[in-house]
Amino acid sequence: MIAQRVGTTALRRVTKPNTFFTPHNLAKVALASQFSATQTRPVATQKLTVDDANSLLAKQRLQRPVSPHLDIYDKMQTWYGASAWHRITGCGLSGALYLFGAAYLVAPLTGWHLESASLAAAFGSLPLAVKGGVKFLLAWPFVFHSINGVRHLAYDLGVGFQKRTIVKQGWYIWGASVIGGLYLAFFM
Amino acid sequence: MASIARSSLLRQSAFAAKSLRQQSVLQNAVRTSAFHTTSRRNILPPPPQRVEGTVNDAVPVPPPSPSHGSYHWTFERLMSAGLVPLTIAPFAAGSLNPTLDAVLCAALLIHSHLGFQSVIIDYIPKKRMPNARKFFMWGLNAATAIVGLALYEFETTDVGLTETIKRVWKA
Repeated sequence: MIAQRVGTTALRRVTKPNTFFTPHNLAKVALASQFSATQTRPVATQKLTVDDANSLLAKQRLQRPVSPHLDIYDKMQTWYGASAWHRITGCGLSGALYLFGAAYLVAPLTGWHLESASLAAAFGSLPLAVKGGVKFLLAWPFVFHSINGVRHLAYDLGVGFQKRTIVKQGWYIWGASVIGGLYLAFFM
Repeated sequence: MASIARSSLLRQSAFAAKSLRQQSVLQNAVRTSAFHTTSRRNILPPPPQRVEGTVNDAVPVPPPSPSHGSYHWTFERLMSAGLVPLTIAPFAAGSLNPTLDAVLCAALLIHSHLGFQSVIIDYIPKKRMPNARKFFMWGLNAATAIVGLALYEFETTDVGLTETIKRVWKA
């Protein structure tokens, strides 16, 4: 079948006038010569057992970037975005609560005094700058997490999802939380 | 004459197209290689990998579970929303009565527990590190139980959370 077709095509080429190299076609030839007509497939395949293939795939997957990748995203969103800091401040405050709770429970065994009276007395004897610093370190995450928490509840209702609003509100929350934290730390 | 001019024009444009094409290929290659060779600053090493089933299996879809899905999500939001008045009240009233203070403590504990749970779920994938996930989840449960007991002790023997914070703050 194919051999027959080769014969007929060759015959057709001979009988037909060659219109390929007419000036009319030269432009087309010039255009076409830029594209490679030969197909090359530089891929060699080899048979693998299922276990080998799986271990190879697992090894390849280990080369993938690990999330969260802190370099490749917009710093405004990943580093200063309120969402990441919401988690950081929340973990900080909850971590403080958990540490205090655990310490309070073992206090009778270790002889620590974590009752409110001794805590207040111990805190009161600290220098003013240290007191202010500790208060700010507690007050700023508290204010930040509170304001941003309300914003996230609004997000959950589908409110305030425009990109500009998110960016603008992010800056407002940073400002408000720092001012609020300073107020709670030094004027309360 | 005209045809000659046209053909050379076409040739030029074809050359230009080719060089453009090469350029864009080059640019893409540069871009791609730049992406692949960024300094990898992983916070953590990649967790262990294993292929479950065959190579070509689709990602398994977990069975739907409202108590781990929508109900859990709604419960989280309710706890967060409930904390809003409980947080504002001591600022407005100066302090909280013992009952409300106990409610605040319980809400804070549950809110913290749910928050830590989300952190564990996000950063310790069950598929990759099932044992670590189990360890941290049970560790969190134990910690929450301990802190719950501690807060109960604190609330019943001391002056309460808001009053303590107030006294320390004014000290």
